[in-house]
Amino acid sequence: MIKKILFIYLFLGISVVVCQNKQLLYNWEVTPQTLLLNPGSIVSGKFHAGVPLGSGFHFNVGSSGVSVFDVFADDGVDINTKITNTISRLSSRDFFTVNQQLDVINFGWLSKGFDPMYFSGGMYQELDVIAYFPKDIALLAWEGNRNYIGKAFDFNHISARADLLTVYHFGVNKQVSKKLTAGVRFKLYSSMVSVSSTRNKGAFKTTLRPGSVNIYEHTVTDLDAEVKTSGFISLDGLEQSQVSKKLLGRALLGGNLGIGFDVGMTYQFDKQLSLTASVLDLGAIFHTKDTERYKATGDYTLDGIELIFPELESDQSTIPYYDNLEDDIVREIPVDTLNTGYTQLRPTKINAALHYDFGRFVGDKGGCNCKNNGTKQKRVSQAGFQYFSIFRPRGLQMAGTLYYTRSFGNTISIKTTYTLDRYSAKNIGAGMFLNIAGVNLFLAADNLLQMSNLAKANSVSLQVGLNYILN
Amino acid sequence: METNIFKLFFLLTFTLLCVSCFEDTDFNQASDVLVRPEIELDLIYFNLEASKFYNYTNNTEILVVRDTTDLDFLGGDDITDILKGADFFFEFTNSIPRGFNVSFDFLNQDNVSKFLMQTTVASANQDAPVVSYFVQSLDEPQIKELTKAKKVLVTVTIPSSSQDLSGVLNLQSKTTYYLQIE
Repeated sequence: MIKKILFIYLFLGISVVVCQNKQLLYNWEVTPQTLLLNPGSIVSGKFHAGVPLGSGFHFNVGSSGVSVFDVFADDGVDINTKITNTISRLSSRDFFTVNQQLDVINFGWLSKGFDPMYFSGGMYQELDVIAYFPKDIALLAWEGNRNYIGKAFDFNHISARADLLTVYHFGVNKQVSKKLTAGVRFKLYSSMVSVSSTRNKGAFKTTLRPGSVNIYEHTVTDLDAEVKTSGFISLDGLEQSQVSKKLLGRALLGGNLGIGFDVGMTYQFDKQLSLTASVLDLGAIFHTKDTERYKATGDYTLDGIELIFPELESDQSTIPYYDNLEDDIVREIPVDTLNTGYTQLRPTKINAALHYDFGRFVGDKGGCNCKNNGTKQKRVSQAGFQYFSIFRPRGLQMAGTLYYTRSFGNTISIKTTYTLDRYSAKNIGAGMFLNIAGVNLFLAADNLLQMSNLAKANSVSLQVGLNYILN
Repeated sequence: METNIFKLFFLLTFTLLCVSCFEDTDFNQASDVLVRPEIELDLIYFNLEASKFYNYTNNTEILVVRDTTDLDFLGGDDITDILKGADFFFEFTNSIPRGFNVSFDFLNQDNVSKFLMQTTVASANQDAPVVSYFVQSLDEPQIKELTKAKKVLVTVTIPSSSQDLSGVLNLQSKTTYYLQIE
């Protein structure tokens, strides 16, 4: 089991930056998915509808600090040496992530009239997994405690969370003034399954202490660890088809529900300079049914087994030292199984960006974007800086992106990005958007420099989608 | 024109997928992964008073004392498969003016001996405690026998005793387990 966990962690170790950062889609006004990243984006269309299950797909997998190549390079070095070096190099702040989103339905329309607004809604499925590298636990499992006498192995290093859910959303986007466009999106979450173990405390230590009753003292101090699960108990023992049926029911609002919202805005300083910002997934899921939580707390010191050489009669049995020891451990560090509910905050994301439009005008009617009350003239080029952050169990993860967007008429638009964060300084991405008679297709990928050998990749993500937009 | 653009788009997508590959890697190395933790763990300890070696009711010597404890973690297929070696370390501190023979007999569930370790403990030097060490390293064939055991019988033998014998025989012990998980 230990080996499998280590292997999965290291095999999937394509170093990924901030996994939910969609820098290529952000403020790419031509895609409906932009509204999911900023409900206050400027919308130029009258109507959009995504191809069911095809309007948007995003996938990103990896971990910070290690690549597949680090472990599986065909370089003649023993793989066990490479794993030892990798464990040594990684820290408990390194992480493994998987994020996948699939747009099931996506639509939107411009409501004309005295007070025009753009409404949009839909439903998407999301899988989000983050597991921090449990450095101390991995070290203990890989090497044992022999070379680490006196070292405290910290249970705080165990921090992981996985969620499979569907999100129903409905948003409204309105041009508030000539300079300001704002939007809000309400979300209803339906959790299919969820498991998490964060904010664990305590440490295990082996100490060599002269004067103690035995050679070592093995101590577990201040242990407070918990694993929370939701949606798993009722799946236990079911056939695959029954599991699928149950999960489908949960996807259709039959799971543990939650609520949240996104807010966003675009502010145009002048006809060329603008600021956008959004806060996404401000909300929580209330896990009230089908929950099981395992909680271990306490302190314990193990000195071995003390023999007292009792004087026994022939019909007396020996003292059950080993059973007593097991009973002591269970009594001092009880593992409670609870079925009480719990609330889990969604990982909130923040986007902000400064954009500068330049070059000649594009678009119909002489470059005036008349459907947007003429407030902005669209130019062929845009460049800017984007900021992204996400709240994770160990705090905020941040990324900065420089980008350039170029439109070729209303048919083709390309966007290129350079993204920097604490894990990668060579992430270049590119996206291409095609619009043929309202049918538009986009493809965007990260880390193009590493595409020729994903084993060395620092970040890999892919986003594709097919939509119909009526301008 | 539009057809050509779509062709270009799909060509780019196809190219992206084609050039994306894993190079200079050998995933077959996964079968060579060996998890080899070395674990230090306390074993047993005792403080055996000299009075344990004399029956004050009958005024007779007790030359042999015994005690036993289960060591459930030693037996079983799981541990047999992964335990590749073990170093046993015993430290005796004797303040009784007698030498001792001490044996550690690892027994299976039916009390059949599977592995036996024996040592002697030096007598105390007048009133000064004497420290004796006993170390035994087990190789893989010996480990195979050890892991058939479920308990250990500790026998302490004293050559002679008396009513006024005093002091304590102290034992502290630990084991280093060498595991190998494939």
